[in-house]
Amino acid sequence: MRAGRSVVGAWCVALSLAQVARAQLRGDGRLAKLDSTTRVAVNVVVDSARKARLPTEPLIDKALEGAKRGASGERIVTAVRGLFADLRTARSALGPSASIDELNAGANALHAGLPMRNLAQLRTVSQHAGRAHVTLPLTVATDLVSRGVPVGVASDVVLSLARAGLRDADFTMFQRNVRLDIEHGADAATAAQTRARGAVLHGGRAT
Amino acid sequence: MRGIPESWIQRVVAELRRPVRFDEEFDRNVMTAVRSMPRHRYRAWTRVLRPRTITIRPLISAVAAVLLLAITLSLGHAIGTRRASVASGSGDTTDRGGSLRSRPKHPVQFVLVAPTARKVQVVGDFNDWDASHAEYSAQHRGGGVWSVTAAVPEGHHRYSFVVDDSVWVADPTAPRLLDDDFGMPNSALVVEGGDLTR
Repeated sequence: MRAGRSVVGAWCVALSLAQVARAQLRGDGRLAKLDSTTRVAVNVVVDSARKARLPTEPLIDKALEGAKRGASGERIVTAVRGLFADLRTARSALGPSASIDELNAGANALHAGLPMRNLAQLRTVSQHAGRAHVTLPLTVATDLVSRGVPVGVASDVVLSLARAGLRDADFTMFQRNVRLDIEHGADAATAAQTRARGAVLHGGRAT
Repeated sequence: MRGIPESWIQRVVAELRRPVRFDEEFDRNVMTAVRSMPRHRYRAWTRVLRPRTITIRPLISAVAAVLLLAITLSLGHAIGTRRASVASGSGDTTDRGGSLRSRPKHPVQFVLVAPTARKVQVVGDFNDWDASHAEYSAQHRGGGVWSVTAAVPEGHHRYSFVVDDSVWVADPTAPRLLDDDFGMPNSALVVEGGDLTR
């Protein structure tokens, strides 16, 4: 009788431990698409983000993107770790009240080469201009860099636009105009500076 | 037992071995006396404070300790997950597994000019990069223009087009991201309260 009870007890313990271990290793169910080694490595980063009170969804999303693109496990883990570092830096620059969208955009901007101090400046300038979120200015800055505008110029331009109180729609219009100028053969830096001057001169209305 | 004859001892033993018989009246009297005594009542706190002797079996206590550890770990994991989803930023910044997926959605039109394409899909963080979503499958409108209008939750998103199930193409008209960890960079999309911004 006693032996039977002990066996049942041991079985319960084993089940509980297995359950805990599974929950720790499995993490987000969507990561089941990854191979076990990659999944465990990604989950470690996700847990670190959770402990650091950073959003975990962008990390899972990055891993899923890698899996869908057929990237190797090693490459996925490297990308997820890099994003984790960028998210942490973005939060340091944008402050603890930054939204998940701002952190995402901030991480992308950092990845594109914008220095951390520019993110912090953009936050300060935007707050003074009455702008609640800096998601779109950061997205536009990243886009400018991706189109060949030097990092310093892209930062200055976006800061000047934020200081002038441009709205999101104006930022979008500005980005579109610069893109078209570049597609028509304009020098990227010149196009960005010229369009920014125009937008500021027109009292915050992008030209 | 020096000096006492064996026969005496045997007689005493025999006498002691003889069952003592009481009459029924005696039993009744004893029980009546017992019932008439005041009852000793244990209160809850007395039960708790009363010293007890506990016997512990090593195996059972080890099992109990491990179970307790397992429960603590499970709770810790659950609480950690919950905290992260609630506190990753400012209330609004919950993970998409939670509230971001439940954010209001707005129709977004995706357009790609791909004259030679046979199939165009939109993939992004809003559909877990899954090209099999029919909702995000672009239709050929003629002249090489492919488009689809799909509901996308508010927020900052990354996306791409997948042409013919194999070629990933960034949206040429949208802000670009330099997140080329897996090859081609993606496009950015910011959806804000009914206002489509790409």
